[in-house]
This record gives sequence, structure tokens and C-alpha cells, in this order.
Amino acid sequence: MGGGFDGRGRALIGAGKLATETKKTIRTIPQERTPIPEQPASDRIGNFDEVALGYRPEDALREAERCLLCKEAACVPACPVAIDIPGFIERISEQDYRGAYDILTDANLLPAICGRVCPQEDQCELVCPVGDVLEPVAIGRLERWIGDMGLEEGWHNVPHIEPVPYRIGVVGSGPAGIACAADLAKAGCEVTIFEALHAPGGVLRYGIPEFRLPNEVIDAEMENLTRLGVEIQCNTVVGRMFTIKQLRTEMGYDAVFIGTGAGTPRFMGIPGEALHGVLSANELLTRCNLMGALQFPKYDTPITIGSHVAVIGSGNTAMDAMRVSLRAGAEKVYCVYRRTRQESPAREEEITHAEEEGVEFHWLTAPVELLDDGEGAVRAMRCIRMELGEPDDSGRRRPVPIPGSEYEFEADTVVYAIGTTANKVIGQTSELELDERGYIATDDDLSTSMAGVYAGGDIVTGAATVILAMGAGRTAAGAIKDYLKIRDTEVVYQPDGAKEGPFGFDPRERNHVRLRLPPDHTVPEPALSGSGSQEG
Amino acid sequence: MSDTRYLFKRGKTWWVKISVPPSLRPALGYDLRRSLRTQDLETARQARSQVVAEFRERIARARRELDGPTDPKPVQADGYQITAREDFSDVTYLLELSHPMLAEAAQPGQFVLVISHEHGERIPLTIADFDREAGTITLVVQAVGKTTREMQQRCVAGSTLHSVVGPMGIPSQLENAGKTVFVGGGLGVASIYPQVRAAQEAGAYVIGVVGFRNRELIFWEDKFNRYCDQLIICTDDGSAGIHGLVTKGIEAAIEEHEDIAELVAIGPPIMMRACAEATRPHGIKTTVSLNPIMVDGTGMCGGCRVIVGGEMKFACVDGPEFDGHQVDFDHLMGRLRRFIEQEKQALETWAEGLTGAAAP
Repeated sequence: MGGGFDGRGRALIGAGKLATETKKTIRTIPQERTPIPEQPASDRIGNFDEVALGYRPEDALREAERCLLCKEAACVPACPVAIDIPGFIERISEQDYRGAYDILTDANLLPAICGRVCPQEDQCELVCPVGDVLEPVAIGRLERWIGDMGLEEGWHNVPHIEPVPYRIGVVGSGPAGIACAADLAKAGCEVTIFEALHAPGGVLRYGIPEFRLPNEVIDAEMENLTRLGVEIQCNTVVGRMFTIKQLRTEMGYDAVFIGTGAGTPRFMGIPGEALHGVLSANELLTRCNLMGALQFPKYDTPITIGSHVAVIGSGNTAMDAMRVSLRAGAEKVYCVYRRTRQESPAREEEITHAEEEGVEFHWLTAPVELLDDGEGAVRAMRCIRMELGEPDDSGRRRPVPIPGSEYEFEADTVVYAIGTTANKVIGQTSELELDERGYIATDDDLSTSMAGVYAGGDIVTGAATVILAMGAGRTAAGAIKDYLKIRDTEVVYQPDGAKEGPFGFDPRERNHVRLRLPPDHTVPEPALSGSGSQEG
Repeated sequence: MSDTRYLFKRGKTWWVKISVPPSLRPALGYDLRRSLRTQDLETARQARSQVVAEFRERIARARRELDGPTDPKPVQADGYQITAREDFSDVTYLLELSHPMLAEAAQPGQFVLVISHEHGERIPLTIADFDREAGTITLVVQAVGKTTREMQQRCVAGSTLHSVVGPMGIPSQLENAGKTVFVGGGLGVASIYPQVRAAQEAGAYVIGVVGFRNRELIFWEDKFNRYCDQLIICTDDGSAGIHGLVTKGIEAAIEEHEDIAELVAIGPPIMMRACAEATRPHGIKTTVSLNPIMVDGTGMCGGCRVIVGGEMKFACVDGPEFDGHQVDFDHLMGRLRRFIEQEKQALETWAEGLTGAAAP
């Protein structure tokens, strides 16, 4: 049998065809990882267009060939949202791009976003067996390619949704909230997302700059969310407009998911932080990404980015702040970090991009004081050199100041990108149990101390990545389905020992299997058995 | 040619008929039809298009109503409606907004963030009043910069604001403290009003001290009179009440009442500092409401950081009210000047645009 349906109701086209082809091995696949075309560094610092331009069809097909389509694929459990990675890559090879899109969006509503911002090198690509010998399959680039194609072609993966009589409130429209809302909407719940800002997307919107994640990609993928029936209510600060308790009681929400994130910026507490020109990376990015400050005065929000910008810290946010500063016209941009490149938490790709664009890295350096220019603005930093000592709790070697190594470091803008802590409002306004650092305390299934209230993402774990937050959103959605006793549509019911029933019938055939078909697809009339037309 | 699309004849008269899609028939009936009141085909043809367009519109509307909840909704509604406006002077104006949920939630001491139009900035404004029954909140705005001047021109009853979010900040901690002095200076007069009302309703003995530049600029005297056990008005030029700043009013109040338990002051930083200094020798608990520059207002940018008792606090989520004796006012006033150049530039560009547009 060459065709049929797998457990999830997808047609298994070509399963027989493959068997006839020679099996791919590490020797037969293309050896080199297909590079992604990029804007040259000299061009891109003058614009806000995307840096990585994305694969062309021939690139994608070549890269898809590099996947060995492992049976027990290690990459799937390594993905926080458990995308069927070999499945979608196989569809690409078969040039069934729509099929690939459907597989991707079953697990992840935001392929175009995740293909861009996920740290694949630490997740799926880290465990790819091709990577043991060669470079791993560029899973992220393929995901982005299919995601972009979906946006361009206007594809939507809206499954048949069987309504259930439950209302869910989701607090925060960032990655965690989006993922949770999507899963619950697919399970038939009536989902409303509450967003405090005036535009949805959370950190995707205010944090990640346009050249790494264009706003139109966010808009398009958010629209897919509303297509599932999710309502997004902006300008609504939960906790202040109404409390979590009110949501659960008088407002009639059967369950609530909190994904408010960790956005409170840290400062160092050194002298001179009040000076003009000293700001958090969050403020710089919010002003530029969300408020359009770089188009001042066409947009009303101002920003001051000087000619010598020093960014303290070396995470992804620091890279974003530096690269925005370059594009805003800063002459010199410095990265000042107290450890070395090895300990830097940023993605290697981000550091490389920043380097190419001309950021100057000052490793093993930390500011101890910010100096006044006499008019209330920062003129320079007094910095101290560090050396690496014994490993600390994070396993990284602890930076230790070298006595007497202080020197002056000229900078007229100092940006703090040294991490964030929990957003406060929910903690202030609910009786939810918090941990000692102010994050929401949850059990393993992400349930909080209040019945029917779940939390996930940065507000539980502290600052992490987009995809980990999305994974948490999906975990919480699963837990909410359990809590509300909604059948988990991801699992197909299989009675024990029922592989073959009486008379050779498969008893599963009697169960309803959900067919995932596009909304405009009409089911063809079943041909009458024994129709004589073919014979006659 | 016998072009009779959408036309049919009943007796001798021409009618227009357009059939309704099956899904809409429960709402609209099988078809929409109307007499054109003519027996002449040519006249009927000419009259036809308008009627057909009207019917199409009715069908489209019915479809929208039917599909409403499943259609992708626009993320931003049409904005927030301004229901009333009142001008207190050539720079100070009041806006009343319809926002029932916000009116329900608002507490004294809280503020909202407003974006006036799509390209606008987020500006914090104290909630000057709220009416839970009418579902409205009141903001009092002073036209000082580009945004507030533009709002002065654009915002009239019936117009909308792009975004209004709140209530932000921790509400005032109003215990029935006995005798409480509420001080408002300039725009702060409006901001202090909800606290005056709440304190009086909580049973406190309320002394109001409000300061204006001159008699013409006085507003809400009646409102304050209703809720204050004693109201002291101060004017800079002496044209009404006490001649001098609000600190003179505070001194008068302290002199008259020995048992003042608390003082709450809202106004320009320099006034709040003076209030704090006036009460410091008497050891009266003093609360001030800080108004630094903010972006998101939810604790994420750190732009509104202030120093209170040597510690850094974010006014948007830790405040806006703090112990006036602990606040570092120099720090606050320094940081308020952060964008002074840009503010000037924005105002100039905007003013140029206005004169440019006015020219033929």
C-alpha cells in the first residue's frame, strides 16, 4: 500500500515510493551546509531591512536533501514545541510545501518567527546526527523558508474546531501566550488574550528589531491566531484593570494562563546612572521598535543615541541594542562585557553579525562609574579590567576585578543590557504564590497556587528564549485541557491490544479521525463501490 | 438589447430583485426586491444600479453581522471616544473619556497612558476624576509640549484617542488618617481631587490647599468645596485667597491645626519639594506623586526610575506615590530634562507644519 492515513489524519503519499529509492546515508547527502544569503554588512548598517535574506527554492531543496529522515529522530524531542521535523523536511523534498506547512503549523503557529529567532544550534540542530560528522541540517532556515512561503501564499492551517463550552483568558500576547492560546483555540475553547501595550506580540514586537524580525511577519502570524478564533484585546493591563481572581470568578473565565514575561530591566547601581544618555536596552529597543523613535519627529517618541555607544552586557538583547545603535547612526559601538566571548550568552550568529557590522568588543571589562560632562549627560565610563577566576553557580568562570586596572572609557551613550527580572504587576495585584526572586511559583504542569490559573514563560523561569516560552505555553495548554477535562486532540485514541480486531478489521477505523483540510477544501463524493464505469 | 438583469415586471411596473445567499436568508428573506415605480424599461435600467448597490450593501452588512465573531478582528478598535471637553484656560483643558471598564477599576492616585494618534507617543496623565455609573474618566491636560498642544487642537467631544491604557500605578493608600491636607498646584489640582473625595468619604477631616497663578485660572472650586472641610486657595498674584505659593497655605493650615496626620501633594516637582520641606520640621508624613518620563508604563523600560531613600524605584509600577521626605528631587528634575532638545525640535517642526498648512 502506497497511500493511506497516518494516525493524525494526514495522507501518506509516496510512502511506498521512498522505499524504492536508495536510502540516504551520510555519504550520499550534500556534504556542505547550504549557506543563507545575507545583506552585506556595509549595506545593512544603513538600513533596517532583514539581514538574512532567506533561502531560495534551490537552496531549500538542497538542504532538505541533507536530512537523513531518522526514524527515531532526536531533533523532535529536542524541540521545545516538538515539531515533526523529519516529517516537514520530507515534504519539502517531495516538493509538497503545503504539506510541510501543515506539519509545521500543527505544532507551531509561528514558523516564520521561530525560524528566525530560535536558537536552533542549542536545540534541534545540536542533536542532529548529521552534525556528528558534518554540519547539522539547517532546520531553522528550512522552517523559516516554509513559514515565509505560507505567509506569501496566504496559507492558513485552520483545523476543524469542535467548540467546547469553556472560556480561557490569556495574560500577555508574547510567545508563551500565543502558543497557549493557539492550542486552546484548536481544542475548541473561546480564548481572549489581554495585552497591556497597544500592539500585540510582546517581546517580539517591542524587543526584537525589524532587521531580525520584520513587524509584518509578526502581523501576519498574529493574524493566523485570530483566524483560529482567538480575540486579542490590547490596552488592557490585567491586575490593574481587573485582577486574575476577577477573571476566574465574576468574569467567567474557566481557566487563565499568565505569560507576562520578565521585562523589568536591571541597573548596576553604580554612580552616574541618573545621567542623560544612560538607559536600559529595553528602553532603547521599545522606543525604536514599538514607538518608531528613529523616525522622530514624524513619530512623536524621541530617542538620543550618541556617537559613541557603549552597551554593557553580551546577550542577545545587547546585540540587538548595538545593532540598532549602528543603524541609528552611531559612529562607534562598543560591547562591554565582564567575561569573555566563550561565556557570552548571545547566539554565535548574533555575535558574528554584530562583529561584521563593526561592533567593537571589550571583553573582561566592567564599568564602575559613569562620568558627568558637566551638563548632566554622560561623557565617559570609568572601567575596570577583569580576569576569570573559579567557576560560579552557572558553571561559568567568575570574573574577578584586577586591582588598579581602572581606566576611562569614552562614551556618550551607555546602554544596560545586563538582564531583566519579573514583571511586577501580577505579583502586586494577585495572591499568587511567588518564588523568592519574584517569579510566579508553579508545579511541573505549570499550575500556580490558584486553581485554574497557570503560568509559563519568562514570568516563571526568568529571561529565556522565545521558543522556550512557546514550549511552556503549549505545556500549560495541555495542563489546562486536563484541568477542564477536554479531550486532547493531539492524541488519537487507541484501545489497548486492538491492533487487529475480529475478522481482520482494525477497530480504530470506527473512531472519528480528524482530517486536517484547508477550509476551502470540499470533500469529494465517495465513489460508489463497484461502479462499472472504469470497466465499461 | 433586452438588458433586464435584476429587473422583473409585476403587472406593468418594473421591479428590482436580488437574491440573498442561503446563509443570510433567515435574516433577510429569500430575496430583496423593490418597485422602481416605472413602466418604462429605459428609466428602470437607469434607476437600477443605485438600488442594487443598496441591496448589496445590506447583504454585506448582514454577512458581517453573521460572521462577526469568526472574522479576524482588527487588533485596534476605533479608539477611545472623547465624550466632553472643557477649557479651563488657554493652556489647561479637561477631557472626559468613555471607558466603562477603566472607570470601574480606577482608584485615586492612579494614572493612564494615552497615545493620541497612530504616530503619537505614550504620555502618562493622572486620572482627575472617574464616574463609575456613567462609565467615564476625566483627564486634565496642560498644553506644554508638542503632543499636549496637538491634543488641545484635535481632541473635541466626539473625537477619539488612539490608545488609552490603565489604570496604572499603585492606588493611594487612604487610611482614615484623621486630619489630612491635600495640596494641588497648577495641573496637580485636578490630580489631587479623587483623593480629596475618597478621603472625605472615608471620614477624614479634609483640608484642601490649591494653588493657581491668578483668579482667572481657578477651576473646580465648587468640587473642592463639596468635599473639603476647609479649602485654602492660594494665588501667585494675590487676586484670590492667600497671596503666595501653596507653601503659604500649608503653613497656615499647620498653624491652625496642630494635629495634621498627613499631607499629600501633587504638582510640579519643585512645588512638591517645597511641600516636603514645609512639613519636614513638623514631622508630618508627606506623600508626593511623581511624574517622570515613561514609555511603556508597565515597568519594562526603566525610563521612569527615581531615587527614593537612596534606592532606585520605577514610578510606573512602584509608585507613582512615594514618601516626599525620601525622594531625590534633584535626580527627578534632572531626568525630566532628558529630551529637552528633542521636545523643542518636535514643537518647532509641528508649528512649522501648522503654518505651512495654513498657507494657501
